[in-house]
Amino acid sequence: MKTPAKTKPAPLIPYFLALTGLVALAWWIAGGIEITVHRQYTGLVDFSLGFVLLAAYACAQMFKTLGLPLLTGYLFAGIVSGPHVAGLLTKDLVENLKLVDELALSFIALSAGGMLRWDFLKERMKAILLNLSFQTFFIFALTCGFFMLTASLFGSFSELSSSQTAALAMLLGVAAVARSPSSAIAVISETRAKGVFTETVLGVTVAMDVVIIVLFTVVLSAAKTMLLPQSPGMWVSMVAVLPEILGALVIGLLLGKAIALYIDRIGKDIPLFLLLFAFSVTRVSIWFEHWVHDLLHVSMTLEPLLICMSAGFTVQNFSRTGPDFLESLDRFSLPVYVLFFALAGAALDLGALLKTWPLAVGLAAVRTVGLLGGSWLAGTLSQDPPLHNRFAWMAYLTQAGVAIGLARLTERQFPEMGLYLTTIVLAAITINQMAGPITFKAVLNMVKETNKR
Amino acid sequence: MKAVFVLLLVVSLAFIGYRMSFRGFRLPFAAVRVHFTGIEFLFLGLLLGPAFLNVVDEETQRGLAPLTALLLGWVGLLFGFQFEVSKLRRLPFEYLAAANFQVLFTLVSVFLAAYTVLPLVRSMAEGPRLSVSLTLAAVAACTGQSVLSLMVRSRETTRTSLVRLLQTIAGLDGFVALLFFGLAFALRSASMDSSDWLFQIGKDLAVSLSLGLGLTAVFLLLLGKRMTQSELILAAVGLAVLTSGAASVLNLSPLIANFFVGVCMVNLSREKERIYQILTTVEKPVYLLILLFLGVSWKSGSGLWLALGGAYCLVRIMSKVAAGVLIPRLFMGLREISPQLGLGLLDMGGLSLAILLDFSQGFQGPAGTRAVSVVLPAIILTFFLSPYGLNQLLFGKQDEDTGKD
Repeated sequence: MKTPAKTKPAPLIPYFLALTGLVALAWWIAGGIEITVHRQYTGLVDFSLGFVLLAAYACAQMFKTLGLPLLTGYLFAGIVSGPHVAGLLTKDLVENLKLVDELALSFIALSAGGMLRWDFLKERMKAILLNLSFQTFFIFALTCGFFMLTASLFGSFSELSSSQTAALAMLLGVAAVARSPSSAIAVISETRAKGVFTETVLGVTVAMDVVIIVLFTVVLSAAKTMLLPQSPGMWVSMVAVLPEILGALVIGLLLGKAIALYIDRIGKDIPLFLLLFAFSVTRVSIWFEHWVHDLLHVSMTLEPLLICMSAGFTVQNFSRTGPDFLESLDRFSLPVYVLFFALAGAALDLGALLKTWPLAVGLAAVRTVGLLGGSWLAGTLSQDPPLHNRFAWMAYLTQAGVAIGLARLTERQFPEMGLYLTTIVLAAITINQMAGPITFKAVLNMVKETNKR
Repeated sequence: MKAVFVLLLVVSLAFIGYRMSFRGFRLPFAAVRVHFTGIEFLFLGLLLGPAFLNVVDEETQRGLAPLTALLLGWVGLLFGFQFEVSKLRRLPFEYLAAANFQVLFTLVSVFLAAYTVLPLVRSMAEGPRLSVSLTLAAVAACTGQSVLSLMVRSRETTRTSLVRLLQTIAGLDGFVALLFFGLAFALRSASMDSSDWLFQIGKDLAVSLSLGLGLTAVFLLLLGKRMTQSELILAAVGLAVLTSGAASVLNLSPLIANFFVGVCMVNLSREKERIYQILTTVEKPVYLLILLFLGVSWKSGSGLWLALGGAYCLVRIMSKVAAGVLIPRLFMGLREISPQLGLGLLDMGGLSLAILLDFSQGFQGPAGTRAVSVVLPAIILTFFLSPYGLNQLLFGKQDEDTGKD
């Protein structure tokens, strides 16, 4: 996503008029025409996709003139077009466009891996590890504690038994630790930020995805032990998850080598190749999970995001083709970001927020306190500049798909309790995802690392 | 899940294919031709479709319909970009007149032949009969440019004005053909027993034009500041998808609606060159995918339909040749042009394919299937015949009449 450095903001009125025109057209097409044949339905899918692309772009440009991140504009357009406001993107449609969503996420994961530089990670290893440890501990502990103490105040949770409340609190704690690497990368790309602060944030955010998989496995096993006595123990689950993570990382490394070979030897249509690569990784991972389950009756997931991150990291750090790789990703990144975040906006559950807003606001606030404490302590111990330590929390607020994924997985394991979890997580994410990109852009400006690339 | 797999498969094939096709390999000319036009994708589609492997079954085809609409929209937009008024004004009047005469002559001839023959083969109601005949005529009338550009690139010719005339005709004759196809689309849903069909045609035309103008206005507003390349890609893709979607919901042709948008854009936008460049970047994979989808929808390969395809091809060739003979006689400024002009107009280009695919998508059921079954054998025949016709026109007896035209 190349944005010219320090360009004069574009005037608001043309974008406003364009948006008005698009909305009027959408009103007519989606509201006034009766859909009777399949061709019209597929047309509506195309129309909605086109509308989201153009409306989100116009919206983001308007937000940009107000000093807000483009990402917030994409999300806003998605929320407004989504099932809870205008209804142009219905729940079914958002579900049908999940393929686009998955593809975009894998593509963004490739970028995330590609942005990490091994020499820098080595240099900042201590700071990254400290951030990971303290942030995880503070957020998890504070969220758990907050929920345990306050759950009885909220009507719907008073029916839960004490072990259910404890299990739910732990699972909420894990969900609160999760981040949104995609949002972080989108904001970094937009602001063209570079520097110690930016790269530390990126390193922590990406590595947190690995931490979260391990933590979630541990907590889910603990919850199972508490609620379902016959379930396998925590250590069994731990032993099972490690090969998955290692497998994904090794496969990513091999695929990264393959990408580098393609760029080096063939070097043509690289963006298209990467798009197909991301797509294939996502689908093959899903197929592999089903295949192993059908064949061996065990659950084994090769996380496509980890594979893509590892592949991107390999191309960037262990081949000569890193710059070509990143440039090619950049060429396709704008449509991918627009579509992904607009769809993410449409998927944000305003209904859940309305239902549980006091608890969601409380959880978001506690999470912020956890981030503040964790990042300040880690920064101080790493002897980072005080300005960085004071405001680092602002870079970590964003939350999206990973937390939702965790909630959905829990729902599969504990249908009744998982529903509570999903509702609260979705509500809290809505708050964090709206505020996160704005605070992240603001802190990048504060530490003066924008427009450095 | 299957739609996703097929999507991955066909996009990969197009991706690999366009690197291998449209290239002048050092092979005998007929083989070059097969590679160059990507006709192998038609057979690949046939192989993957319900007629053989059934990888792309009916349900998967429905799942891929949004992609098909996008492909059609892309072609429409690209074709619309060829109608820049300031450039058209610079063309000699005779060239424009010859292009329009040729296309009208072919349209009328093929339409009359199809309209007469179709009821003899299968009983058809008046509406579908008219629609199929109009579409067959529109497909036949378009002239492709690929053989001409390959031949001119590979071998030098002194007949530059003839080449220019051929390029003009091939570039512009699709306009009238598209209008004819628009008629077919409008008549599809209209009742032929009343004056309803006239109203339907007017309504479709008005809505398509308004959509084109409205979306161009939106696009021009978005282009208020100079966009970066990736912003422009986003806007172009968004525009094509939006227009295709709106057209499909409104029961219009995505091809025609996007064509109008393209015409408006090329005449009103400052960024036309950059947008055109983006559109042409994926032009070849788009055509390959259209060929593939047409192959998939080829269901009836019986002797009768193959014979009809042959007859259709024959009528088309005869119309083009006859129009070519008449042009030097009718237009004063083109007296020097060879009366064999029609031999250079046999190639069937991407627009013909797009019209056919649009028709097969918009006319689910026997009408669409029949049209595809008639045209595809003709397309294959033409793929092999057109290079010889063009070769005869451009290089036959060249020593004697060098510089004649």
